[in-house]
Amino acid sequence: MNLEAVKLAAADNLWSALFPELMLAGLALLLLVLEIVLPKKHHVVIPDVASAGLLGTLIGLFVNWNSSLIGAETFNGLIHHTHQGQMMRAFFMICALLVCQLGRLTLARQLMPKIEFYHIVLVVTAAMMLLAQSNHLLMLFVVLETLTIGLYILVSYHRTSTASLEAGLKYLVMGALSSGILLFGIVLLYGVAGNPALPAHSDNAMYYPELTRFLEGNRDNFVASLGIVLVLVGVGFKIGAFPFQIWVPDVYQGAPTPVTAFLAVASKAAGFAVLMALCGKHGVFAAYQSLTTPVLTVMAAATIIFGNLSALTQHNVKRLIGLSGVSHAGFLLLGVVASATSVLATNAIYFYLFAYLIASFAVFGVMTHLAGADDSDQDLDHYAGLAKDSPFLAGVLAIGLGSLAGIPPLAGFMGKFLVFVAAYQSGARWLLAIAAAGVVVSIFYYFGWIKAAFFETWTPPADGAPTRPARTPVTWVTGFALGFLALASVFFGFYQGPFGQFLTLK
Amino acid sequence: MGTFLFNVLAIFTLVTAVGVVVNRNAVNASMCLLLSLVGVAGLFVGLQAYLLAFLLLLVYAGAIVALFLFIVMLLDTKGDARPTLHKLPVAARVLAVGLVGLGVVSFVAQGKLPEPAIGNAPAVGATLKLYAYQLFSTYLLPVQILGFLLLIAMLGVIVLSKRFEGLEDIK
Repeated sequence: MNLEAVKLAAADNLWSALFPELMLAGLALLLLVLEIVLPKKHHVVIPDVASAGLLGTLIGLFVNWNSSLIGAETFNGLIHHTHQGQMMRAFFMICALLVCQLGRLTLARQLMPKIEFYHIVLVVTAAMMLLAQSNHLLMLFVVLETLTIGLYILVSYHRTSTASLEAGLKYLVMGALSSGILLFGIVLLYGVAGNPALPAHSDNAMYYPELTRFLEGNRDNFVASLGIVLVLVGVGFKIGAFPFQIWVPDVYQGAPTPVTAFLAVASKAAGFAVLMALCGKHGVFAAYQSLTTPVLTVMAAATIIFGNLSALTQHNVKRLIGLSGVSHAGFLLLGVVASATSVLATNAIYFYLFAYLIASFAVFGVMTHLAGADDSDQDLDHYAGLAKDSPFLAGVLAIGLGSLAGIPPLAGFMGKFLVFVAAYQSGARWLLAIAAAGVVVSIFYYFGWIKAAFFETWTPPADGAPTRPARTPVTWVTGFALGFLALASVFFGFYQGPFGQFLTLK
Repeated sequence: MGTFLFNVLAIFTLVTAVGVVVNRNAVNASMCLLLSLVGVAGLFVGLQAYLLAFLLLLVYAGAIVALFLFIVMLLDTKGDARPTLHKLPVAARVLAVGLVGLGVVSFVAQGKLPEPAIGNAPAVGATLKLYAYQLFSTYLLPVQILGFLLLIAMLGVIVLSKRFEGLEDIK
């Protein structure tokens, strides 16, 4: 490599193309500086700075939505700018905004450092945004590690709570294992694709187009198949698909509620962004669909069955939402299976993800208001009589849960409907039957929760000591956010327009 | 010369690797691991993979084994009494040894790489200079991201381990 080539490579590092990520990274550093510079009594403004910065970046992204770079690759092929990428960027920033807002409520109840929380959330968000646009296995692994390590810290953030520390440790061990498996898969793919004895080999085999070319040239290579399966397993851990879902209930229960929301929505969506880039119709593994489709189909069926059946018996709402999140991963996997043959499915998955974001954060917002000092102890009984005490929270909860359950005319219903239509078109009939049965089961446990909030009255225990934590009053900002999420759930049930327009499908 | 050096290094690596497993003192086991890694690094040098050898020494021997030693010394574990042998673990061990043995035998018997493939393979990435050029031009973005990774890892250690006094006024 001579100096000219080096200069050429350096010139392709077009930093302005990543302005949202750079803004978030800079914002994260700014928060730390502010913590040092500002006197302690002014530290209250730091979360506001984080939220304002996120909002500003989000607006900047929308202004620059149809950037001239769409379709181009920068950073020597590490980053591929697409409309899907833009969409996921917005998705993760909206998640981060809501997590910061919920974080304020939860952090105020605990004695622990506050500013670092926002810093880590911002860095993790930037990493997720890069993940959705990565076009290179090296880039994929580096950003995946960054976001996973950030999440290890966030999960164990309530370090005075044993549940949180246990969750952090479990997540660390499972996460390290899954990263190891993913890396092993990547190495196998890189190794076999660099073998000069095979046709279409490449010395830059981690670059998606080169890897795609290699896989198309070698349609039944054993080592490549093994690598693909290992990569799928690694991603399966991240999205919590069966049989890699063991960590989900404990981690979701132990993590602080905003982090649970972040894990359930943003981390899962990041996993699906990767899956779609790899297993979609024009994905990297498209030549190995005879392998990936059965694997994903079995995974989807098992995930839907396991998630719904295990959520049925839960009494702790964090475990319930965690396990129901597993079943949502199953429905999304159904979409991924369909996306192998139909491009419509990709659209359906994005719509599903947004509907899931809106509904989940509505529910998590209500959960944050009802949680006490012990964040892991949130029982269904705590919701008894909510409709009488706080009709607003109960209404938001009902809409959020209804949307998660897929009740028409809410957004969650349309999400499921679009995914099911795509699955029907791609011919995954028996998987569709399982998914439909799963939806029926899910209505049962979601309505158990709604029933607790609306039709049950809470009787304090006989010895007089109230065992239920006091509810946090709804502030102006969170009230606005929750109301907005509830309205959005209704609105997107009727109108799905932007999700057809934003994506130019090829 | 090449074969002699290879044999010496291979035997050294294997002997010290066995030392890791059989040593009852955790510190000695870690030191054996260190020596074993030095042996592997020597083998890499024999293959002219200088960069790989150097990275192995730097990362594994330098950082990771040092970390092991720290933790072993912090925990201050004493070697326990030899555990009693149960049927199932013994069976598992026999099976594992058998499988490894089978793997080695089949590799020696049949594991032939196609000759021209090795001959033609260019030694890309073998020089430190090329590696450094690539790191700071083509792969500059991942390097920067790793900087942030280290930053949040450091913050995480502080947040999760430091004793905070007077946190009441941080709201």
